[in-house]
Amino acid sequence: MTSSWLWATRGFLTSSREARHLSELCWLSVIPQGLIAMMNQLTAGLLLLTLAAPTVGQEITGSSGPSVRLVPPGITTVTRGKAGGVPLQFRIGRGFHINSNTPKSEFLIPTILKLDATTDIVVGQVAYPKGEERSFPFSPDEKLSVYTGDFALTVTVRPLHSVVPGKYMLRGQLKYQACDNAACYPPKQLPVSFEIKVAKDATRQGRNPAQSPHVHQ
Amino acid sequence: MNRNSIGWIVFVAVASVILVAAPYMARRAGISHDIQKPDALTGKPAPAFDLPSLDGKTVRLSDFKGKTVLLNFWATWCQPCRVEMSWFDEFQKKYGSEGLQVVGITTQDDSSRSQIANFADEVGAHYTILVGTNSVSVAYGGIPLLPSTIYVNRDGQVVSRVYGLKSRSEIEDDIKLALGHSRVPHK
Repeated sequence: MTSSWLWATRGFLTSSREARHLSELCWLSVIPQGLIAMMNQLTAGLLLLTLAAPTVGQEITGSSGPSVRLVPPGITTVTRGKAGGVPLQFRIGRGFHINSNTPKSEFLIPTILKLDATTDIVVGQVAYPKGEERSFPFSPDEKLSVYTGDFALTVTVRPLHSVVPGKYMLRGQLKYQACDNAACYPPKQLPVSFEIKVAKDATRQGRNPAQSPHVHQ
Repeated sequence: MNRNSIGWIVFVAVASVILVAAPYMARRAGISHDIQKPDALTGKPAPAFDLPSLDGKTVRLSDFKGKTVLLNFWATWCQPCRVEMSWFDEFQKKYGSEGLQVVGITTQDDSSRSQIANFADEVGAHYTILVGTNSVSVAYGGIPLLPSTIYVNRDGQVVSRVYGLKSRSEIEDDIKLALGHSRVPHK
């Protein structure tokens, strides 16, 4: 490293001398010599710092893990008695990937969203996006099915006819297992919560409430 | 204020930004563990353990007294682990006669032993595989990520710890170093 840096610096300084020489000969002569010297100092210093910067980064070995978070969702309106899809978008930290819902090996842990059961709102299927097929430096010949960056799930919910219209909070966990280009992190469970707004079914309006004794508005 | 002064002020400002941002950038890039770094265990006696092997026997670290031990923490869900486990098997054959003992410790407690055995068989890891416990992971300073490999010399002292997958040649260099080869590896 040291020798290669010295070689690079030597090359740079040589180029600087050439640049100075050239400046005396051509259009570079419009640049004051003092400014060229200053820029040389700056560039040499920054070159040294750029080489030193990764060493600073090394000091945080093992101190950080992957980040997966739920992008704050808006409130989805779902009609009472009907199924509706609630989109949920998740964001994975740069440099990391998590397995898709359908990884290519039985040994890999799929990403799964599990929602807590509620009494009046039926939680149906979760639609997962197709994984991105990617190979990684640790296994260049093998393609894995993963999510990177942002990915969106859709949760199907169906409020029962008896649900009082209004806002409801649903909670659950996203189970995932993340890796980067050289290592993997233990499986984690991300707490997930989002609101839905249950609205009346317009087609049922006008009926006699007395015929539906379970409706409690 | 002359030009030199301005230059130095700009230099110090840019330098400060680079030095402050470097750890953050490394973390964002997910490469922060891509370095071998001495930790609290290095130079100290390797913590003792007794753990069950896949065939049900109890294996102790002290069983390998006088040998150089490569302790590799892994899991079936760790793809990089899969890559190096086949290398470890080759190194066990190559350096076994010199006193190398590779020991794999799974960090899983929710997998059946048959699944672990199937995985080890699939990747061709025929060395000693043990089923780990949380207390052993804690004794080894916690295992925040996998693979995590600890090299223990013949005197039972930790020589180094490596996080993440390294190249085959780097691993071989680390093995040679732990075995006490005189040639210093190129890092």
